[in-house]
Amino acid sequence: MASIAAVVAVATIVSTQSPRFYPDDPLWTDNDRVADASKAGAVEDSNGYDFLVNTLGHPGERRDVRALNVNTVDEVPDSSWFTNRIGRMDMSVAEIVRGPDRVERVDITGWQVSGGKTTGVQPGFRMTDPAGQIYQIEVDPPSNPELASGAEMIGTAFYHAIGYNVVDVYLAEIDRDKLVIAEGATIRDPLNGRRRQMKKYDLDDVFNRAARLESGRYRVLVSRFASGTPLGNFRYYSRRPDDPNDLVLHEHRRELRGARVFGAWLNHDDSRGINSLDMLETTNGRAWIKHYMFDFGSILGSGTVYAQRHRPGNEYMFEQKPGWLTLATLGLYVRPWITIDYPDVPSSVGRLESQQFDPLKWKPEYPNAAFENMRPDDAFWAARIVSKFSDAAIRGIVQKAAYSDPAATDFLTKTIIARRDKVVAAWINQVCPVVDVTLAADGTLSFNNAAVDAKAATAPAAYELNWFRFDNATDQRTPVGGAMTVTAGSARAPEGLTTGDFVGVSVKATHAQQPGWSAPSTFIFRRSGTNWSLVGVERGPVAAAKP
Amino acid sequence: MLRIVVLSLALATLVPSIVQGQEAQTREEADRQRREQQATEVQTYQPNGVERAMDFAEDKAIFILDREGFHPKLGSLTVGSGFAYGLGFRDRDLFSNRGALEVWAAGSVKGYWATEARLRFPRLANNHLYLETWGSRRDYPQENFFGLGPDSNRDDRSDYAIRTNHFGGRVGVRPFARHLLVGGGLEFLQPRLGAGQNDSYPDVPELFPPTDVPGIDSRSDFLRSEFFVEVDYREPIYAKKGGWYRFDWSHFDDRTTNQFTFNRFDADVRQFFGFLAGRRVLATRLFVSTSDTSAPQVMPFFLMPTLGGNDTLRGFREYRFRGPHAMLAQAEYRWEIWSGFDGAIFYDAGKVADHRSDLNFKDLESDYGIGFRFNTNNGVIFRVDTAFGSNDGKHLYIVVGGIF
Repeated sequence: MASIAAVVAVATIVSTQSPRFYPDDPLWTDNDRVADASKAGAVEDSNGYDFLVNTLGHPGERRDVRALNVNTVDEVPDSSWFTNRIGRMDMSVAEIVRGPDRVERVDITGWQVSGGKTTGVQPGFRMTDPAGQIYQIEVDPPSNPELASGAEMIGTAFYHAIGYNVVDVYLAEIDRDKLVIAEGATIRDPLNGRRRQMKKYDLDDVFNRAARLESGRYRVLVSRFASGTPLGNFRYYSRRPDDPNDLVLHEHRRELRGARVFGAWLNHDDSRGINSLDMLETTNGRAWIKHYMFDFGSILGSGTVYAQRHRPGNEYMFEQKPGWLTLATLGLYVRPWITIDYPDVPSSVGRLESQQFDPLKWKPEYPNAAFENMRPDDAFWAARIVSKFSDAAIRGIVQKAAYSDPAATDFLTKTIIARRDKVVAAWINQVCPVVDVTLAADGTLSFNNAAVDAKAATAPAAYELNWFRFDNATDQRTPVGGAMTVTAGSARAPEGLTTGDFVGVSVKATHAQQPGWSAPSTFIFRRSGTNWSLVGVERGPVAAAKP
Repeated sequence: MLRIVVLSLALATLVPSIVQGQEAQTREEADRQRREQQATEVQTYQPNGVERAMDFAEDKAIFILDREGFHPKLGSLTVGSGFAYGLGFRDRDLFSNRGALEVWAAGSVKGYWATEARLRFPRLANNHLYLETWGSRRDYPQENFFGLGPDSNRDDRSDYAIRTNHFGGRVGVRPFARHLLVGGGLEFLQPRLGAGQNDSYPDVPELFPPTDVPGIDSRSDFLRSEFFVEVDYREPIYAKKGGWYRFDWSHFDDRTTNQFTFNRFDADVRQFFGFLAGRRVLATRLFVSTSDTSAPQVMPFFLMPTLGGNDTLRGFREYRFRGPHAMLAQAEYRWEIWSGFDGAIFYDAGKVADHRSDLNFKDLESDYGIGFRFNTNNGVIFRVDTAFGSNDGKHLYIVVGGIF
């Protein structure tokens, strides 16, 4: 009997031992459309619930674990959440600026007003083009012409180039007198919440709160509705219980953890669940959910309907310690962000600065489980993407906002560039930033330093390399030779090491200003004929978990 | 032992295929198997109780309070009325969204009640013209009276009842700037006085001779004609900076007995000084009311300005001071604790006077205190004020609405 138990125990151990690397690793596409999600329903959080649960509820799993959706080389594969763009491929400035746009510009001639706007504080309504495609139309506040529409144009282009799914947005001008309300257009009455026939004064209500051009027309933002069936928003924690493709807890998805870096860079303090969008699409008869980042009207210096306040980006809406301190001291305690001296800029910019901006202290409107789970390796991944945006690309994106005042374009370009440099410096150096690692057939190792390439650090005096043999079945690492020191991005593997199927090397560097570089980054190669291909990357001080 | 190892290896191969099908040979296949497994376990999302409650609050509750048609009427009716509740009906969609009708009736925990119908056209002529008309009936059964003038005695608390019908109309013009409103109006008032309903205190005539309380026996109707100028450049309405000024000249014409005709002038100047990014605000207010009569006319006591209560001298009871002339200076230091929640330290000083020449800063009654406000940019929703420092004891106010 004992023998049988032992047999079963051993059999279990052996049978659950899957290899560290499968033959198809690293995967660059996560096929998360494989299972049919047609039974998924809408999950639409209210503002209040999203605030409450994230502020007081501490939702999601909080543990120091490697992102669970990265591939074996520590990158995010393409999925329904994310598509590698500027981080993995060379994009021209024109491609970056174009973003998700399907056309050069939209012509709203012949479009009809087809309904009211259902969410958000920015006044607007819906229009439908002759082909039946629905668009959302939004106006800028009279106090800050071009503010929200400019922010939305810029944010959309940035987040698209980064890799997120976004809807395409355009700028247009509207002659209010020529608008035609379609028969059957409805609106949710703002006074009683009931849906009713849309009337002319509903448009008046929108345009009474809109910045008017000298020509008498109105500059508007035109957002194309995403295709598919709306399923509400995604959350930055947990999984959708009705989506069989949603395997990974959202708080452990790298592109959601890393969104904190992008949020800090572009001051997207409004990056929260309710500003996302899930759409049910059908491909080859199988339904799947596409996840969008949504609503960038409150990024940079915009508060959508006013210049951004001082607090957003610096403190949560409800943060206990500074609040109690302020209460107890009758206001003598002054939160640091209150004294930030914002530059005098055109009203279309709002309130934004780069001098006192500290990426590590940046905060969204309220706690975000994915952001709080962000580890140095997640931040490194995101910071590398940020570093790929050239000055020219940033200027090009800002120009897309078509600010009437060139000073607005200049200020925003310079400020985003300055914030980029701070963001990259803050987060690219928290791990050993060795990248582009290759092992040639003759055993020559080559690598670059992403921080040095991004001008976020000087080169270290030396790198320390530790080689090992790797057993893919047991995950065992056997050191070969002692520590090797090199001063440049090149080294030779120890004699006899490269005879196996898998070899690895850990690299760390000593740099007085960059303590994060002392945590080794590890690279594992697999024999591929006579060559070696990179199959595994681990960064940071914590041992990697299996994906 | 060898037998065990052999068996183990055999089982290692067999068990997975028995239990979960063929073991994946690729990462993609492993992920696909996990998704297929998860597909058997999907379930419809079920919101929890908090989520449903918040959804209800945002989708329904706000509309219940601010909804069109019938809605609950909550708040207070006047200073000292206590919390009132009732039923209202509103239609803000009249005449192609140009007009708004509001009709309500409410009673308070202290037996006050009121009903009112008001029709407003707030944005006519491209926002340059404002019109409103109203009719109301207000029944206040236990209004405080301590005597007239600055030397009234807090121990002389008495009460009276007053029921007033109001019918009026007002027109305002914004001639060239949205900050300036100039206008005038007419209002017909039918005040009727009676015995106070608070048995803890004597009725006014039991404590004061009629000569000391002009109008206590009045059954006069009044026609009030009014001219006003209002400047409002607060930013935002619950101001962090800017000012709000109103100057109001009124002529009250006694249409019944020709005994109580008088003129009254009110000036209310509120200035707001924000600092530290508007997170600290010094709010100041100066209110002056003065009147004149032509002998033998006298000003009825119930139309005189009063001080005391949650919106004037907070360290004193409601209507503690009453006189033909009055002045009030208030200052609040407000500091933001969290978004939408402010603290406030305040100081109030003021007095009533029998003669206009006595309207000065000598011998002011004063108080100080601390309070907290739940607010939005459009005003205070709810506040708690505690006032000290007067010779009238400590006072705690829990009030729906702001002060200035």
